[in-house]
Formats: sequence, structure tokens, C-alpha cells
Amino acid sequence: MKGHVTEWLGAYVDGELSGVRLRRVEWHLRECSACQGELDWLRALSGLLEESSAVERRTSPERFVAQVGLRLPRRQERPPAQRALEVGWKMVPAGLLFSLAFVHSVFLVAGVIQVALWMGLGGEVGALLLPGSSGGLSLPDLSTLSQASVADAVGTVSALVQSGSALAWLPVLYLCLLFVIGLLYCSWLASWWAHRRHQQLTASNHIS
Amino acid sequence: MNGTASGGKRSPVETDLELIGQAQNGDRQAFGQLVRRHHQGVINVVYRMCGSMDLAEEAAQETFIRAWSHLPRYKPRAPFRNWLYRIAVNLARDALRRERPTVDVESIPLASGDQGPQALVEARERGEIVREAVTDLPPASKEVLVLREYEGLSYKEIAETLDIPIGTVMSRLNYARGRLRQSLAPYLEVL
Repeated sequence: MKGHVTEWLGAYVDGELSGVRLRRVEWHLRECSACQGELDWLRALSGLLEESSAVERRTSPERFVAQVGLRLPRRQERPPAQRALEVGWKMVPAGLLFSLAFVHSVFLVAGVIQVALWMGLGGEVGALLLPGSSGGLSLPDLSTLSQASVADAVGTVSALVQSGSALAWLPVLYLCLLFVIGLLYCSWLASWWAHRRHQQLTASNHIS
Repeated sequence: MNGTASGGKRSPVETDLELIGQAQNGDRQAFGQLVRRHHQGVINVVYRMCGSMDLAEEAAQETFIRAWSHLPRYKPRAPFRNWLYRIAVNLARDALRRERPTVDVESIPLASGDQGPQALVEARERGEIVREAVTDLPPASKEVLVLREYEGLSYKEIAETLDIPIGTVMSRLNYARGRLRQSLAPYLEVL
């Protein structure tokens, strides 16, 4: 008979087959005496192995546990400073997220103030902070800066810088801070990944 | 087991995970419970691979000592038993590399008292032959066979324990059974 299922019989005896494969093997076994013979042989082997499975111990369980207990090395306690450092290290992403929220809030408020000054609500203070406002310079709209094209953004920023406005550097500062926070987060992520990989390799080497 | 970090009475039905959590915090008594629960399986695995009870008990002790050292880094993705078996198999491999495998005749179990002297001798002899045949298998297929036939691990668990694909588990198992079929042919016929 063609299409013997010999290679799957071991998995069949072990109960590891399912679905179509299982049905195919069962169907084949009904038809094929050769494969049925193989199956009987596999079952006989399992029986023989099971028959010899009992192992007579030399040491009683209590004594074994006691012997292991005596040989257990003392775990090295990590110093509090190291533990604090580890906790701090894990808090870095939360800190960076907080910094990001803080920067956003500060620059949002700064943007509102800037608009108010531009509209002349700040009086003399406004004139001091925005000396170039009468020159018809377009507003440095922080909220739309991210949506504008890069060329527009650069143009706006350079125009503001040239105007000598005290608030003109805000977008530059904002972008720089975003960049620094992003850079710090990427660095943390990279070192966390490297540390984890190192730990896995060390554990695997020791277990091996 | 000496010393305990937590003290107090221990519930008899604490799960492995609870005991592992306590042992990870340095509770040696909790670890002792884990040793008590799993030592027989660990000894069996090493014994089936090495064929010597002395070697098996020594390697089993070493397995638990290693497990204790690495317990803080253990993550319960796989059952604790399988993690122990992984350590035990690696130690058994080392032991096999160092020493020539031997069959420890003295450790062969006695058959039940219902059998007559002749049947007892035959069972003992058969047990010895089976153990010898298993011990003579190549280490890679022997590990898979022992974990499957004696410890009852599923193919997936064996694959995770030995860090090999399930297809490899199947092929090694088929190979081991094929080899045993040859070496144990006379005993299989009389069954």
C-alpha cells in the first residue's frame, strides 16, 4: 500500500497529532496492516520502557533536600545604592515623558503669551519683547509649525531670528528640547536592549 | 533546608509560582519545597541519560544549586520543572563528556513481590538491558526520548526545554525508537 504513515506513528502514539493529519493516520491504519504492525511495535516499546521506569534511590528524599540545602551558596545581597540606581534606571522613560509634557505645556503657554503680545495686549512689555512686531513679520505659530513644510518652518524661524525678537528663539528651543528628549529616550532604549541581551546570554551560558 | 527568610507556617498547597516568588526573595525553605517536589524527576532524567545513580544524584544536586543561583533571573514563561530539566540535561551532557557511561546494576529496581524468583530475575535482566540500550543512544536523541518516555513531556515542552524545533523533536524521537527497536528486538517479540 502506498503512502505509509510510519513517520507519523510515533507522534500518533504520543497523542501529538490532531486535525487532518490525525484523521489521515487513523484512516490509513484501518487499511494498512504494515503500519498497524509498526504501531503495535511502538506500543510494545513504550510498554517495555515503562516497565523499567522505576528507579531505586540511594538517598532518601529528606536527605537529598538537606544535602542540597547545605550546598546552597549564600546569595549576594545587592547594596542599597545599586538597587536605587536600578529603580532610577527603570524610571527614566517616565521621567522623559514627564519632561515632554512639561516642555509642551511651557511652550503652549509661551505661544499664548506671544499671540497676546502680538495683538498688543502686553503694552510696553510687548514692545520690548517683540521689537520687530511693527515690521509686519508673520506670527510664529507654534501649533502649526509641526504641520508646515520644513522649508516654511525654517523660513519662519530664520525671519524671527533676524527680527531680533526675544521670543523668536522659542521654536528653535522647542525643537532642540524635543530632539534632546528623543535622543535620550533612544539611548535609554538601546542600552536597555543591550543590557537585556547581555542578561539573557549570561543566564543561558550559566545554565548550559 | 536550613534557614528561612519568611518563617511561619507554610501552606501545603502552595503552587510552584508562589514558592518560586518566595525563593527568589531568598527564602531557602520555599526552595526546599521546590527541591522536594521536583528532585525525583530531575534524578530520573540524569539517571536515564548517564546510567549511574551516583552520578545522577550528584548531578541532580548540582542542578538545584545552579537553579538557586539563577532563580532571580527565572521568568515563569515555561513550567519550573521544564526549566530544571533543561539545566539537568546540560549537566548530564557534561557528565557524559567527562565520564564513560556505565550501567549501574545495583540501582536496578526489584520487581514486585508477586513474581516468582525466575520472573524476578528475568525482569531484572530485562530492565538492565533496556537501561543499557537507552544509555547507548546518541545524547541528542536520548535526551528527547527520556523527556518523552520517562517524564511525559509534550513535544512542545521538549522543544522549549532543549531549545530545538518540534520537527527535530519528532525526528530524534523516531531515530531513538528505531535504534531501540534494533537493540531490544528479542524483548519486544516476547511481549
